[in-house]
Amino acid sequence: MEAGQAELAFRGVGLRKIYVTGETEVHALRGVDLAIHPGEIVVLLGPSGSGKSTLLNIIGGLDRPTEGELFHFDTQLTGIAEADLTRYRRENIGFIFQFYNLIPSLTAEENVRLVTDIAHDPMEAREALALVGLSDRADHYPAQLSGGEQQRVAVARAVAKRPGILLCDEPTGALDSQTGVRVLETLVRANRELGTTVLIITHNVGIAAIAHRVLHFLDGQIARVVENDTQIEPVEITW
Amino acid sequence: MNALDLKLTRNLWHMRGQVFAIAMVLAAATATFVLSMGTYRSLVDTRDAYYAQSHFADVFASMTRAPRSIVDTVGQIEGVQRAEGVIQQYATLDFPDRNIPVRGLINSVDENGRTRLNQIVLREGRMPRAGEPGEVVVDELFALANGLGPGDSVEALIYGSRQRLDIVGTGLAPNFIYALPPGDIIPDDERFGIFWMGRKALEAATDRTEAINSISITLERGASEPEIIRALDRILEPYGGLGAYGREDHLSHAFLDNELMQLDAMTRVIPPVFLLVSVFLVYIVLGRMIRTERTQIGLLKAFGYSSRQVGMHYFKFALVIAMLATVLGSLAGIWMGHGMTELYASYYRFPFLNYNISPGVFLGAAALSTGSAALGALAGMRSAIRLAPAVAMSPPPPPVYRAGIVERLGQRAGFSAIGHMIVRHIARWPGRSAMTILGVALSLGLLFSTVQFIDSSRNMLDSYFFRAQKQDLSVSFTEARNEDVLFELAQIPGVQRVEGTRAIAAQMSNGNLTERTALESAPENSILTARIDSSGAEIDMPISGLMLSRQLADQLKVGAGDSVYVEMLGGRRTARMMPVASIVDEFIGARAYAGPATLEELVRDRAPFATALLRIDPLFRDDILTELKEMPVVLGVTERDAALVKFEEMIDDNIFTMIFFYIAFASAIAVGVVYNSARILFSERAHELATLRVLGYHRTEVGIVLLGELALLVIAAVPLGCVIGYWLAQLMTTMFSSDLFRLPFAPNRATYGYASLIVLFSALGTAALVALRVLRLDMVRVLKAHD
Repeated sequence: MEAGQAELAFRGVGLRKIYVTGETEVHALRGVDLAIHPGEIVVLLGPSGSGKSTLLNIIGGLDRPTEGELFHFDTQLTGIAEADLTRYRRENIGFIFQFYNLIPSLTAEENVRLVTDIAHDPMEAREALALVGLSDRADHYPAQLSGGEQQRVAVARAVAKRPGILLCDEPTGALDSQTGVRVLETLVRANRELGTTVLIITHNVGIAAIAHRVLHFLDGQIARVVENDTQIEPVEITW
Repeated sequence: MNALDLKLTRNLWHMRGQVFAIAMVLAAATATFVLSMGTYRSLVDTRDAYYAQSHFADVFASMTRAPRSIVDTVGQIEGVQRAEGVIQQYATLDFPDRNIPVRGLINSVDENGRTRLNQIVLREGRMPRAGEPGEVVVDELFALANGLGPGDSVEALIYGSRQRLDIVGTGLAPNFIYALPPGDIIPDDERFGIFWMGRKALEAATDRTEAINSISITLERGASEPEIIRALDRILEPYGGLGAYGREDHLSHAFLDNELMQLDAMTRVIPPVFLLVSVFLVYIVLGRMIRTERTQIGLLKAFGYSSRQVGMHYFKFALVIAMLATVLGSLAGIWMGHGMTELYASYYRFPFLNYNISPGVFLGAAALSTGSAALGALAGMRSAIRLAPAVAMSPPPPPVYRAGIVERLGQRAGFSAIGHMIVRHIARWPGRSAMTILGVALSLGLLFSTVQFIDSSRNMLDSYFFRAQKQDLSVSFTEARNEDVLFELAQIPGVQRVEGTRAIAAQMSNGNLTERTALESAPENSILTARIDSSGAEIDMPISGLMLSRQLADQLKVGAGDSVYVEMLGGRRTARMMPVASIVDEFIGARAYAGPATLEELVRDRAPFATALLRIDPLFRDDILTELKEMPVVLGVTERDAALVKFEEMIDDNIFTMIFFYIAFASAIAVGVVYNSARILFSERAHELATLRVLGYHRTEVGIVLLGELALLVIAAVPLGCVIGYWLAQLMTTMFSSDLFRLPFAPNRATYGYASLIVLFSALGTAALVALRVLRLDMVRVLKAHD
């Protein structure tokens, strides 16, 4: 093993994912090698079906690769038991989805508590909501919040446990530009203040400018990697 | 097959678990219906065929002694088709190794070994031959119970003289479907048997040359039974006639009729309740299932399918379930019905079995299942069809939750976020949660009301055997005796108390309503008998006038304060109007009671004793029984505790077998309802559950969200189910009570627990099944479903 590799937040070798539905096989990932450094913001770009979400799901422990190996620091994620994978998610990962996935029967604060209840060293739920500027909406149910507010609750929920990694699948996809910027600002803030590694899937090419690195996906492979020497602030993004 | 029908078959396959569970609920109700209709009808058909084939008589009469020539006179009565006279004689049988007396009733058969009426169906061996005096055919059940068969012989004491009876065959006869020992209320195959013996031999043994003491007649079609009975009574009066009676007063027929009526009552009461409950359950479950198809309904309408076509599609869905239920239910019903009928047929001593179910029963079952399934489908479709396609296709907006009163309490109790999810989901859909609770509660109620029939029977036994009869032994005599015999019995060492009871056959009438019964009387200061009413209270015998059981009073349409005309059918055959002093609510039989003074006044004689009741020291039991067996006046001895066991066995055979099936079906319904509720809950919450898994909750923790809600609903359903059960049971008990038979309403506390446990266990079982789904939950796919 080369020196320095153990310090990688994620190291993937020859990751393949084949979905078998009936008699057809879909090759979602066709041998992806990957290196994500701790504290990086990485944006994943590419057309639908190019394998971005599949990779993100595998990194998040929601799915397993058909072939290949994946390490989180020196922990091998491929081949571990389901319960260990759940614990890995619980302790390390914050998820943000395009459609928020809030629990409608719980208030904003309780949705965050859903995570802080089971995390190791979480912040207070109120604190997390303050981080996304929703202190005054803590007792509202999802049905009483706008789309942007709901997504900010989802972000608060994701950062509340102080996760090492934030995985965001189209976090701004359902939002207007103004709200989208607020969400991205929160992500950047988590990255700077907490040192969180952030992976963002997006179709919005403009967002790529806030990343340290951009991975371009095509046909289940990483076609090219672009390093940004400087990152712009979310407000500067041309939407 | 068009695309929509293809979708139908796929949907059915995809939802097979739920489809099967709904079908099971309907099938259980259908099976109950088919089983019940089939069993009762088949038994009645079998009985009627047996009666017809064996020429069971229509009118019966017995007398002290009449010349055989009287049969021709009786045959001349207008409307009489055929008359036949026989000798019937009780005998004591000697089984040296047993100290309980064994009794037999010997009937004469003609020189060819035949009777023309009440014909014997030979089961084994042959009939007695003329000129072979000791040869007998014995009734099959007695033979089986005592290990007897052709070639065996028993010693008998007939009319005071000993005779050996050589068994040459076994048989059955329609007039002894139930062979009741005199004075007993239940058959006892081990201790009482029917025998058939050649006429000449029995005439010789009983000193009745060319004489008879019993006559049976069949009537021509359209003949008036009451008129013929009156004519017969006139002819037989000089010969000590005890009053002619029709089939409804024939002991065996009446007993069988009563049993069949109970079965009929049960089959008329329980299946409709089952059907109603399951119709309602299917209405709930199917409706809710189709409501989860909201998006697909929107899609179909967006494609241009009309509401009618979409409606038809879901109606077909319901139809397939109904057909499945009809087929499953009918097959189960036929299979169980056949087994059940066979069981009853052997129990009722039928020599053969006509098992058939009319096609109408299946049509009815199919109509009922289809109707309820269609109703359920309709309920689910109505709201979905009303939606505009675009609205229907987009997922429903997040429901608005609010913290209610329960919540504020929960807040204070420090609920976790998971706890809040469970409670709020219930509170957010109060209607839906209430339906689930109601569904489970109804199935529990059904179970409870079925199981409580067992309590009911036990309670009846308790009041009849433990509270009304306090003797250890009851001794019946070969013929009615005076006080001397009571003194004689009291002399036996170990006998602590002797009470003589009288029972004289009597006919009671009010206007043109006439009932045949026995007027019973116990000593004034009796401690061995009591009259218990339906509330369990002991009722005192009135000082003057009669006390009638509720059934008899109802049949005669009289109440306390009215009068009835009483004709004694024995002794001096006195007759007069008697006031009805009181009515007693008894469970068994239509009976009449009078105090000893009233009875003496009525019969104008010191009426003899038919039975003596004994309380004994248990240590002397065997010695006393041996002593009684040696007394020539003693015809039979019944031990109360043994009779209780027999009675319980009879109820077990008769009622419990049927109840057992009903319980099984009620349990199936409970399982079906709980399973479907759990499945629907799962599909409604799959998205949330997947979210929790993504957030790092373990499977078991996620399972708690789902099963916690189910558990709360089921637990809430238990008390409600007990209340519904109590109410249903009361309804059923009321419906069950017939003229001849009444059941007390007395559910046991344990029955609530038993019914609740079955429901809780089925909930646990189905919860485990659904929990397996949580284990297999595909997080990625469920979350993607939103895109």
